[in-house]
Amino acid sequence: MQKTFVVIPRNCTGCRTCELACSMIKGTEGVFARSRINIYKVGDERYMQMTCLQCVEAACVKVCPTEALVRNELTGAIEVDEERCVGCGLCEPACPFGHMHFELNEGVPVKCDLCGGDPTCVKFCPHGALEMK
Amino acid sequence: MYIYIDGKKISAKDGESILEVANRNEIYIPTLCHHEALDDVGACRVCMVEITHKDWGGWRNLVTACLYPVEEGLVISTSSEAVRRSRGTTLDLLMARCPTSDVIRWMAEENGEISVRYEQIDDGSKCIMCSLCVRACERMGCNAIGTVGRGHDKKIAPPFFENPENCIGCGACAAICPTGHIEVNDTRTTREIWDKKFNFVACEGCGEPVLTEEYRDYAIANRDLPADYYTTCSACKKKKLASHFDKVGS
Ligand code: SF4
Ligand code: FES
Repeated sequence: MQKTFVVIPRNCTGCRTCELACSMIKGTEGVFARSRINIYKVGDERYMQMTCLQCVEAACVKVCPTEALVRNELTGAIEVDEERCVGCGLCEPACPFGHMHFELNEGVPVKCDLCGGDPTCVKFCPHGALEMK
Repeated sequence: MYIYIDGKKISAKDGESILEVANRNEIYIPTLCHHEALDDVGACRVCMVEITHKDWGGWRNLVTACLYPVEEGLVISTSSEAVRRSRGTTLDLLMARCPTSDVIRWMAEENGEISVRYEQIDDGSKCIMCSLCVRACERMGCNAIGTVGRGHDKKIAPPFFENPENCIGCGACAAICPTGHIEVNDTRTTREIWDKKFNFVACEGCGEPVLTEEYRDYAIANRDLPADYYTTCSACKKKKLASHFDKVGS
């Protein structure tokens, strides 16, 4: 059965270990801003974990001129096929939730791909606030 | 059908190019002008391979792997002496044309010794005339740039070398260029490319650049999404959604 990425905001302490784990494993050398999961403070001691929702009808997929964003049927994640991407960058502003990240000098977007079904952030979260169910 | 690449028997489909079959089987053939999503034009010549066939009476030929269609029993060598020599000459010529390009240098080193047989002209241009930028622009439906002039003076440029009317400042040409030849100058509020100046749409929340105004208009006209998707930067979108989720949850 395909698993779903679940966030449990009530358990999140805002420690940002997930961001660090993501930016390390995804080769962005620990730069928090390039992590594919981000923590937002939403109130006193209240945090929200934000990452790609892997939308069923995804805006990013819709605007891509070369079908470079493809759903992995095993994991359910939308993945970037870097070989097919021409670097137009439209998927970033098209995502209504802000989960695509494109830099012209990188040439291809980065987004959460659920690490192939076994997300690193989930493994590193010390407070049980991220789960694959 | 079956073909042979470097002595390995490999199954292939009618209509596939040698490069497609090689890529699918993780056999490396260097390329500069090939892109998975664009039509091949055979411009760079670094994908050269040697082919022969048992029925050809010993005849062999060098062909571009990206364009050559497979046929039953084709025997391909990706790194024979003839291939290396041909690739070496191609890379040599490319290095003479743009000595400052790192990509070309790496490829030449990988192919073997770098010989400098041709006079290097360092006019600051890194363009190898692969036309990836033109094909990417075409794919966007803009056709803002093309090849201008002929023969030795052929260049990639907007029509009449004037700032391109159809350019929307998306930057795909610069992103796809293998040598980094195309210049883009961004400030917080403007982008300059092909001598054309664009204003960025400023994020409603924080003022950070989202995309050029022309690109926004193009997206609204050509992609079926609401216009207000393009008014806010990713960070502000996330922030807004986070507090929305928080409200819904509590
Ligand atoms: S500018 Fe870059 S992408 Fe365009 S033809 Fe030249 S090398 Fe290729
Ligand atoms: S990749 Fe075949 S000629 Fe350039």
